[in-house]
Amino acid sequence: MAKKRFIETRFYSIFFMVIITAFFISILSAFYLLTEKKVNTLKENTEKKLVLNSFDLPADDVQNFDKFIKIQNLQNRNYYIAERSGKLIGYCFPINGKGLWGSINALIAVTPDFQRIINLEIVDQNETPGLGGRITEDWFKDQFRKKVLLENGEIVEFQLVSEDENTNKAQINQITGATLSSRSVLKMIEEEYSEILKVLK
Amino acid sequence: MTKKDIFLNSTFTENSVWKQILGICSALAVTNLMINSLVMGLGVIFTLALSSFTISLLREYIPKRIRMMVQTLIIASYVIIVDLFLKAFLPEISKNLGPYVGLIITNCIIMGRAEAFSSKNPPVDSLIDGIGAGLGYTLVLIIISFVRELFGFGTIFGFTILGDWWTKWSIMVMAPSAFFMLAILIWIINSPKKEKVK
Repeated sequence: MAKKRFIETRFYSIFFMVIITAFFISILSAFYLLTEKKVNTLKENTEKKLVLNSFDLPADDVQNFDKFIKIQNLQNRNYYIAERSGKLIGYCFPINGKGLWGSINALIAVTPDFQRIINLEIVDQNETPGLGGRITEDWFKDQFRKKVLLENGEIVEFQLVSEDENTNKAQINQITGATLSSRSVLKMIEEEYSEILKVLK
Repeated sequence: MTKKDIFLNSTFTENSVWKQILGICSALAVTNLMINSLVMGLGVIFTLALSSFTISLLREYIPKRIRMMVQTLIIASYVIIVDLFLKAFLPEISKNLGPYVGLIITNCIIMGRAEAFSSKNPPVDSLIDGIGAGLGYTLVLIIISFVRELFGFGTIFGFTILGDWWTKWSIMVMAPSAFFMLAILIWIINSPKKEKVK
C-alpha cells in the first residue's frame, strides 16, 4: 500500500523523469563520443577534398591538402592559398549566396592575378533535387573552369543561355527548368567576388 | 491476437499511412529517390521497434500524467542514435535526408503506436507491432519513390532503367508529385474496402 502511494505522488513523477532522463542521456553521450571522431574526420576530409578540387589539385589523397594548401584569414572570412613546388597556384575563397529554397555555399579558386577562375565547387545547397540540385553536377561546374572573371578591373557578368547552345567566354549554359538556381550561382559569384576584391584592396 | 495477427494488422490492415493517414509529412519529403526512402524507412523501423519495446517495458512504472514526456524522451534518444549512425557511416545519405531524420521524433506514427499499443501491451508484442508499423510505412515510401524515381530520373536505386530517349518528368522530382502519388495510392488501396463496409 505504501509503495503504491509513492508511485502516485508528484514526487515520484519528478523522480522518475530525472532517472530516465539521466539514463538515456548517458547512453546518447556514450554513442556520441563513439562516433564523434569519425564524423569529424569525415567532415574535414570532405571539406579538404572540395578545396583541392577547386584548385584542380588531385583530391584522391587528403594528404595533398596539408602538402599544398595553407589557410589564411581575411577579416571574417577564411581563405586558402595553394602552392606547388614553390610556385603560387592561386587563392580559394568560400562564398555563399541565396538559392531558390535556401543558401548555397561554394568555393571559388582564382589565379594569383585574380583574373581567372581555376574551378568552382558547390559545398552545400538545398535546391530542388534533379532540377536546381544539378548545380552540383560536373558539366555545370566545369563551365566556370578557366573562365576570365576579371577583365580591365571589371568583374565579367556571365550571361545564361539554354542548356544545349554553344557558349562563348562570357556565357554559361543554364539548367533547363532551373533558371533561378542557375542565376543564383552567377549572382553569388558576382556579388561575393566584388566583396572579396573590395576587402583585398 | 497471435503475434502474426499483430504483425499483419499493423503492417497492412491498420497501415499507419494509408489507413490512419499518419506520418505523411516525411513520406512526402524523402520519396524522390529510392535509396533515401529505404534508409528513412529503416530508420523509422529501428526507432519504432525499440521505442515501442522500451515504452512497453516501462509501462507499469511511467506515471500517467507525464507519459507523453517520457515517450518523447525515449523516441528522441533512438532517433538521435539513428542520426549519429547515419552521419558516421552513411554521410552522403545523411546529407540527402537532411533534417528529416531528426524529424522522425515528431513522426505521428511513433507517438501513435506508443499511445495506442505499446503503453497497453507486453514488450514482445509491442516490438512486433513496432516492426510491423515501420514496415508498413517503409512499404508506402518504397512504392511512391519507385514511381517518382523511375519517371523523374529514369533510374531505380540509381541504376539507369529508362535511357536517353525518355523525357524526364520534372514534376516527379518536385514535392507536388508526392502529393499526387500518395493520394492515388490511398485511393487505390481504400476504394474496394469501402464498398465492403457498406
